[in-house]
Amino acid sequence: MSARISTRELVISPIFANNPVAMQVLGVCSALAVSNSMQTALVMTLAVTFVLVCSNFFISLIRQFIPNSVRIIAQMTVIASLVIVVDMVLQDLAPDLSKQLSVFVSLIITNCIVMGRAEAFAMKEPPLLSVMDAIGNAAGYGFILLSVAFVRELLGAGSLFGHEIIQTVANGGWYLPNEMFKLPPSAFFLIGAIIWVVNIARRKRK
Amino acid sequence: MAFNKDSIAGTMVFTIVLCLVCSFMITGTADVLKERKLTKKRDELMRNVLVAANIEGVTNDNFRDIFKAKVQPMLVNLETGEPVAVDNVLDYDANMAAINPETSSKISKDIAKIKTRANNVRIFKVNDDQGQLQALVLPVYGKGLWSIIYGFIGMEKDLNTVQGIVFYEHGETPGIGDFVNHEEWRMTWHGKQIYNSNGDVALKIVKGGAKPGDLNGVDGVSGATRTGAGVEKLIQFWFGKEGYEPLLEKLKAAGV
Repeated sequence: MSARISTRELVISPIFANNPVAMQVLGVCSALAVSNSMQTALVMTLAVTFVLVCSNFFISLIRQFIPNSVRIIAQMTVIASLVIVVDMVLQDLAPDLSKQLSVFVSLIITNCIVMGRAEAFAMKEPPLLSVMDAIGNAAGYGFILLSVAFVRELLGAGSLFGHEIIQTVANGGWYLPNEMFKLPPSAFFLIGAIIWVVNIARRKRK
Repeated sequence: MAFNKDSIAGTMVFTIVLCLVCSFMITGTADVLKERKLTKKRDELMRNVLVAANIEGVTNDNFRDIFKAKVQPMLVNLETGEPVAVDNVLDYDANMAAINPETSSKISKDIAKIKTRANNVRIFKVNDDQGQLQALVLPVYGKGLWSIIYGFIGMEKDLNTVQGIVFYEHGETPGIGDFVNHEEWRMTWHGKQIYNSNGDVALKIVKGGAKPGDLNGVDGVSGATRTGAGVEKLIQFWFGKEGYEPLLEKLKAAGV
């Protein structure tokens, strides 16, 4: 990544052209697990956004003091602390949602996007640019997560954010929900399809 | 630069400062949320007790008032059945009391597989509008297949017939063993009797379903035999000699 890219580019490019999930295939584990409904996907996106923005900011702030030999551990310490804070706040504000997300909030620690941005960007660039980079990457992650969740919840349960969109057979309608979309494998197919589409789009532009 | 970050001393100083700052951040957040967590815990307790007592018309808004008006929480000694004075019964840490050697005793016939039980246990007397005992709610817990299952059981004033039961915490297999907290199954407990006419604990989880009219049998759930067995054992333990039997005898003798 060259040093001279515009702030705008920094935010926009990870959403489509350089999407962390679709192009770099990072953070897929959580994307598979929590994308079965819009609500969990949205909360997860917000949690990752908070952690990513804060970790990039703090790491960039102290980047000149981080000894080279412990830099990965230092990054992990910052990220892990932030994740614990997010987990505690989530348990307080939305205990039910927190139960649904279960271990995946704690697993933000191991989300490669967070680590990756800290190591690849925040260690070299000033705080403000790092924050922009974090927003862009979080948006890229959220974009994939929400798109997948949109399809999964709509086809798997006939609803969006828990509101009924297509009336299911169980509720007296015509739609028989496709249970497969509630299970993790469907996210594999959907993310695969998204990667395919993004790749075609990229090749065309070149 | 005077501070050499890559020297051993520099690395040490950096690591210590970073760890301190991070731990302050975490403890600070935990401290801010502590009070709210306590309130939530209290709310959950109140709701569980009301569900176990099978009180009707409990909603999100009125459960605190109903609890205040009807429920009389108290701490009692299990052996003597005497009440024990305590500052705030609702915040009494029952789980801690059950494992602290100073406040607990070893169980000799440990069928519920919990090793120790607290000497003093929190019970809830639920009174009707005239101040007469309507139900008695007792905490019960014991080992299921994977985890300790925690719950409350509510009895009618005959101190034998089940009003309701609630299992609020468990780590049983999702989708299989977690039937313990499904409302449908919990409702099948209503009207069952814990003791038989000889005064022995007779409540059983019956594999394949209890016969109609069986006052001591609760339907088992197929695929979750061992979770069901755990529930049966924990009821048998808590209503046995080392559990609530002395207390219940005393209450019956006192004519409540």
